[in-house]
Amino acid sequence: MNDSPNRLLRPLLLPLCALLLMVPATALALDGEQILAQVDRNLQPRSYEMYRKLINLEPDGSRREFVLYTLKKGEDKMVALFLAPASEKGRATLRLGENIWLYIPKVGRPIRITSLQSVIGGVFNNADILRLDFSSEYRVEQLREEDAHYLLTLKARTTAVAYDSLIMEVEKKRLLPTTIACHAASGMLIKTLRYSEIKDFGGGLVRPARLETDSPLHKGYRSIMLFARLRNRSVSDEVFSLNGFAKVDELR
Amino acid sequence: MNSGREPVRDSCTPSRSPGRACPAVLRAARRAALACMTALACLAATAGDDFSFEPEEFAKSPLTTGGYLEASWEHLDLNQDSALSRLRQDQDLPASRDRLAGAVQLDGSYLKGIAGLHWLLKAAGQLDDQGWLDHADIFASYLSLSPGPQLELSLGKQSYRWGKGYAWNPVGFLNRSKDPNNPEETLEGYLTAEAEWIRSSSALVENIALTGVVLPVWQGVNEEFGRRDQLKLAAKLYLLFRDTDIDLLWYSGSDGSSGSNRSSSFGLDFSRNITTNFELHGELAHSPGRERIILEADSTTATARESLTSWLLGLRYLNRWNLTTILEYYHNGSGYSTEELDRFYQLGAEAEQALSREQREQLLNQARKLSLQGYGRPNPGRDYLYARFSLREPGEILYFTPALTTIINLEDRSCSLTPELLYTGLSNWEIRLRFALLLGSSQSEFGEKLNSNRLELRLRAFF
Repeated sequence: MNDSPNRLLRPLLLPLCALLLMVPATALALDGEQILAQVDRNLQPRSYEMYRKLINLEPDGSRREFVLYTLKKGEDKMVALFLAPASEKGRATLRLGENIWLYIPKVGRPIRITSLQSVIGGVFNNADILRLDFSSEYRVEQLREEDAHYLLTLKARTTAVAYDSLIMEVEKKRLLPTTIACHAASGMLIKTLRYSEIKDFGGGLVRPARLETDSPLHKGYRSIMLFARLRNRSVSDEVFSLNGFAKVDELR
Repeated sequence: MNSGREPVRDSCTPSRSPGRACPAVLRAARRAALACMTALACLAATAGDDFSFEPEEFAKSPLTTGGYLEASWEHLDLNQDSALSRLRQDQDLPASRDRLAGAVQLDGSYLKGIAGLHWLLKAAGQLDDQGWLDHADIFASYLSLSPGPQLELSLGKQSYRWGKGYAWNPVGFLNRSKDPNNPEETLEGYLTAEAEWIRSSSALVENIALTGVVLPVWQGVNEEFGRRDQLKLAAKLYLLFRDTDIDLLWYSGSDGSSGSNRSSSFGLDFSRNITTNFELHGELAHSPGRERIILEADSTTATARESLTSWLLGLRYLNRWNLTTILEYYHNGSGYSTEELDRFYQLGAEAEQALSREQREQLLNQARKLSLQGYGRPNPGRDYLYARFSLREPGEILYFTPALTTIINLEDRSCSLTPELLYTGLSNWEIRLRFALLLGSSQSEFGEKLNSNRLELRLRAFF
């Protein structure tokens, strides 16, 4: 009678051991949110500065170029300052969470703008210029695994986010995005983003240096974003204020 | 034709006609040609994708400069019978006027350590039937000191843009009056000493900024602020509270007996995004003892000291077609009633009917003086509605923005209606075509302006 429990447990021992062996493997596997958080960290540090060139290519072959200096701090603070062309020089945008202000030198004061308003013409909008971390703006709704990629379906956390949902293809090996399809709430494809040209930015940051955008809404138009001097930098919180952000050029 | 869907044959059937080429060879050749063309197109595209970015070209330099050159042409149909035209009866007013104008604006700064020197210079000239007129002004020139991110001190001439309103700013106690038809234009500053303290936190009030301003009134300096040899004080406290911008503003101005319209005032303004495409803003200003120059019923000029309140409520709305609507209602406490404006418009008519030349001159001089003292400002009435509708890039025409602006005097129902076309598609160029139509009966604000319409073409080249 005394060994009867052991006898009863013996058949369960093997499956239990197998289950225990599987636990670490499950813990090691990343869930969608973890993948997205890692994608964010692989793309950029939490607080950083960077230079970007935006190139709008038009169907007739002409192009317009914009150069921006950007500072980001934490989850929701960001400033973007136009350095070129001359007609846009000094124009700056500040984002604090869902609040966005635009400073135009000739107007001489910051104006609160609606977050969906475009700062410059062309295919780019605020979402492209003042993008925070993906994980701040989106939650993972679905994760699919393919041979070399993860396929994440992301849903906007609030209606303030420009694109209602994203389908993000993430390279498994480096956990870097390769393609992002941006959709409206109606399901309509608004634009597709394609990352390329993996580059070592220093400080352990190896990520794409080029982002290409096209949109079925602007047939024949393309936009290229080139990234440079992306590095860790943390500045004072006061820079991200109405009185401080127009002077961000002084911090370069 | 080979559609490309045809099954590929891997062998050549012997030709029945010796002079005919094998179809499979032809197809292969065609495919090879297509492949070559595709490859060449890809190469061309790759060659065209010659995108380089050298951020060193944009390295920070202590000296930064910029500005623009402007050329414009204007055609005005003059309202020869209007009250404001009568004030200029020393000149023969033509039925219309064409004007060519040019301007240059230079801005820049030189930074060294915590110190900076900033400037904004503007020179403009115009040529019309009255001849050549030009002027050059220092709009801003000041020294700044930034001992840290939380503190900035400045001394010199700088412009103030207090308030949240787009067309008007009742709380703009230190602002130079702006033209609601061109509210974004650069304005000349005032000589001041200023200190600004900023503090950010993660509490309910995310940002606090306190700005203190000392404004001296000397001979030739800031004289519109009151009597000479006085120091005026102003302060603004900014709060970002629960995603709402709030300003509390105060100005210690003239005592009401100096003839200045910049009397002591206090006020507040706010701005908030209600939804992602809807912004609401407002301003409220109160002057406990403000002087107002009034033309009495017996044509004498009187000075009234009154407690006046002005306010503005506005919104900005972006719809799904990229149409931005700005609407503002403005109550101008220091404005003139329809009756008071009628008397002023009548003064010119009385001058015309005067029996003697001396009496005529006297009445005209009185009207000119009143015009400068308030009756002649861009919007002298009490209640206004401003509306601007601008459509960004309609029909997928990038960098093109048509807009329609209207300013309505709600008391006399006169208005201005201004359609415009703006194109910024050429790098560093801005082209604007604008037509302003002034509508209103006689004895109404817009019916008594100098011109009845204006067509303007303006080119700006930025550098």
